[in-house]
Amino acid sequence: MIIVVGGGPAGMAAALSAAQANSKVMVVEAGPRLGGQYWRHSSVEHLDQDGAKLVSAVMSHPNIEFLFNARIWRADYRDGESTLHVLIFGKSRELTTKKLILATGAFDRTLPFPGWDIPGVMTPGAAQSLLKGSGIVAGKRIVIAGTGPFLLPVSVGLAKAGAQIAGLYEANSRNRWFPHALTVMRNAPKLRLALSFQRELKRYQLRFRGGYAVVEALKGDEGLLEAVRVAKVDKEFGIMANSEFVIKCDVLAVGWGFTADLSLAGNLGVEFKKDSDGSISVVVDQFQETSLTGVFAAGELTGIGGAELAQVEGEIAGLTAAGNVNRPKRLHRLKKRKATFARALSAAYPVGNKWMEWLRESTIICRCEEVSLSEVEKSISNLGATDARSAKLLTRAGMGLCQGRICGRSFADIVESRTGNVANDESSIKFAARPIASPITFEELAGS
Amino acid sequence: MDSSDVIIIGAGMIGANCALRLIQSGLSVTVIDRGAISGGTTSAGEGNILVSDKDPGPELSLALRSREAWFELADEVGGEFELEKKGGLIVAKSEQGISDLKVQSARQSQSGVIVHQLDHAELHEIEPHLSNEIPYGVYYPQDSQLNPMLGVAQILKKFRELGGKVVTEAKVLSISTDAMSVTGVVTSKGEFSSRNIVNATGTWAGEIAEMAGSHLPIAPRRGFILVTAPTPSVVRHKVYDADYVANVASGSADLQTSAVIEGTRSGTILIGSSRERVGYSTTFDVRILRKLSEQALALFPALRKVQIMRAYFGFRPYAPDHLPVIGEDARVKGLWHATGHEGAGIGLAPATAEIIAAQITGKDCLMDVSPFSPARFAHDL
Ligand SMILES: Cc1cc2nc3c(=O)[nH]c(=O)nc-3n(C[C@H](O)[C@H](O)[C@H](O)COP(=O)(O)OP(=O)(O)OC[C@H]3O[C@@H](n4cnc5c(N)ncnc54)[C@H](O)[C@@H]3O)c2cc1C
Ligand SMILES: Cc1cc2nc3c(=O)[nH]c(=O)nc-3n(C[C@H](O)[C@H](O)[C@H](O)COP(=O)(O)OP(=O)(O)OC[C@H]3O[C@@H](n4cnc5c(N)ncnc54)[C@H](O)[C@@H]3O)c2cc1C
Repeated sequence: MIIVVGGGPAGMAAALSAAQANSKVMVVEAGPRLGGQYWRHSSVEHLDQDGAKLVSAVMSHPNIEFLFNARIWRADYRDGESTLHVLIFGKSRELTTKKLILATGAFDRTLPFPGWDIPGVMTPGAAQSLLKGSGIVAGKRIVIAGTGPFLLPVSVGLAKAGAQIAGLYEANSRNRWFPHALTVMRNAPKLRLALSFQRELKRYQLRFRGGYAVVEALKGDEGLLEAVRVAKVDKEFGIMANSEFVIKCDVLAVGWGFTADLSLAGNLGVEFKKDSDGSISVVVDQFQETSLTGVFAAGELTGIGGAELAQVEGEIAGLTAAGNVNRPKRLHRLKKRKATFARALSAAYPVGNKWMEWLRESTIICRCEEVSLSEVEKSISNLGATDARSAKLLTRAGMGLCQGRICGRSFADIVESRTGNVANDESSIKFAARPIASPITFEELAGS
Repeated sequence: MDSSDVIIIGAGMIGANCALRLIQSGLSVTVIDRGAISGGTTSAGEGNILVSDKDPGPELSLALRSREAWFELADEVGGEFELEKKGGLIVAKSEQGISDLKVQSARQSQSGVIVHQLDHAELHEIEPHLSNEIPYGVYYPQDSQLNPMLGVAQILKKFRELGGKVVTEAKVLSISTDAMSVTGVVTSKGEFSSRNIVNATGTWAGEIAEMAGSHLPIAPRRGFILVTAPTPSVVRHKVYDADYVANVASGSADLQTSAVIEGTRSGTILIGSSRERVGYSTTFDVRILRKLSEQALALFPALRKVQIMRAYFGFRPYAPDHLPVIGEDARVKGLWHATGHEGAGIGLAPATAEIIAAQITGKDCLMDVSPFSPARFAHDL
């Protein structure tokens, strides 16, 4: 039986193509239903056409079984076989398979800045999940900021649901798009999507401002978010002189693209790579197979590429895992085109290094362990830390509940900028490893 | 070429302590590590300074002196490294376990360890969340704890203030010798010359000995630790089962686990530890984690709903007879070994450094150090 981890676009496409190629498939999903980040919903009626079609095709296929609310907290690979430790109904159970497809997706990338720990500051992903998953509009007056194409649909979604969008700030200036215009044109559906967003922006009177960033969140009397400070920023994200202004809001949704969720892939020991923008992803061949025989990866964990690319990769992974030798050329062509688009897109939304200039001595870098910038700097200047790992050990940054998922990368960037000691790929990859993919209680662990 | 009286290879707990003692003895000292400071086993263990788990004998004498030295060191160094007189509690449930523990603690007491026998009521008064089914325990007030990474950093900070030099990211590639005496090291960052080299490379000490044309049988023994999410204080002391002592002393290669439970200042609880000989393997079986959590629950049922957020492992440097190796190499002059501390290197570091400093400067040691001599492996050559 093929096991697919993750029921997002990549996982669903993988399950379906493998099932259609006559394989038995089991989908293991931590959430209560299919859809993943992209098609997060409370019931099928709320999905767009493509989503509804895929979800019902997967749900109704006789070759596919499901484990929902089942979180894999640890995975091992030995002698060609993967063992998954699944937490379900309060117990840890073992599943083994010789064909594993990882489609565990990504989470929002965050950057620390003064005030980011004030209640009311969240990621666009969180705002979107609240809305799509539970129908909750995060606030009354919302500012959306950060970088990436994802800011647009989130703004439109929130505006549609009745929130007032007090500002929409993209840190990269729009001129960045021009070098990649050709790629965008080759992706007609994307272009259409972009145009439709333009119309929606108009309709909800959303003013999109490129080259602006939220550089500080401000707290009101009750300790909640009251306003944000916005500044015009240059290409490197340095604040331009005399450009700052304050905007009132009760929610700030700020995100800087996505970080692949590599926890399980790391447990298994598949090969990773560090891309030129510093992000880490799983190495796969053209058939989506990782460095481990029988372990496939699809979607965001092979490099951030969006829902459409995730589906194409999933389909290829599913077919290969099912042993289908007549893989249609069409898929590979499609994957190539979508991947080119994804690369162009990420090139259009880089994260400049000067966000570090927004920080103050007192700015918290690691929220779980409440480690401030000055403590990080002291671990270097005073205590002799020379790299991210030693600075982490001396400050406990990244050792809290989120296990560095939120701060790990920014923390490493800060340490690098202060020590001048640029981490090699191997140590960056090691730094991102976690033996336990998600927390488990004693009772759950012992009772299995 | 860079030259100093002593080169110390390894910026772990042992190397850091040796560095400080030697520079305080008036020598010029350079510490060299292939990575960052405290990046080896020192960052992958716990910070216990234990006398309770040691049988009367040379290691216990070393431990008793070392514990004292830690508190002296804290005053000297000044900087904070979370040193705390936490107190250890060994508990037993079975009749056999109880009688063994009684015998063991009585013998320890004759060697200068302070012990308090506790009945059920006393036991649960000092450790309220301990399982009610446990009738007997022995309290060891001398057992203490520190944060090893901060300890190394603060000691090396003091060392640098005294003029010491720390070179990181410099891997020792070879040892230069002349007529079986050391003359220096070649590293990935260049050459350093010295007539004395302290081999404080923990589990990797055998490689250094080899480079110098000698031999040292040090091997890794892997240990796992579970870390909980911050938890309101369930555990007040460092608590473990009497079985632990038997495991520590065992030579078996098989997996052994017995939970050693302690709270830390950040609010997390650490559950150590397992012992197994699997080389430097990084793959693991969740059975290890499961056994540790079962044993932890047997001691503290209140941990049931507490989340384990992390696990990590490290490699203890051990010698075949489970005693530290401290002293000059039997063949190569000027090569001083300070390794093989296995699961006790944090606790034993200051006393180890005192011995090394005394030997290099030709002074008398305060205790009989012959059991630790590297010469005991000379017949292997
Ligand atoms: C808020 C938001 C808005 C977006 N908007 C757009 C958009 O408008 N257009 C666009 O092209 N892309 C958008 N994206 C990106 C898009 O969501 C992703 O490209 C797509 O979802 C990737 O699919 P995936 O299958 O790789 O991962 P996901 O959809 O993230 O699915 C991963 C699934 O794996 C499950 N999982 C993870 N770990 C485990 C585990 N250990 N055990 C069990 N299950 C696990 C998760 O619960 C999740 O359901 C958006 C992303 C976000 C976060
Ligand atoms: C799970 C576990 C729990 C433990 N709990 C405790 C405890 O509670 N109390 C206690 O006292 N002890 C404990 N220990 C044991 C303790 O951690 C070790 O005994 C101690 O850290 C050893 O220190 P060290 O300085 O000898 O070695 P290390 O810390 O390993 O330092 C050796 C250094 O040498 C460097 N090195 C190696 N080769 C080279 C080379 N060729 N060139 C340059 N540098 C090199 C390495 O980079 C490393 O930094 C535990 C160990 C484990 C694994």
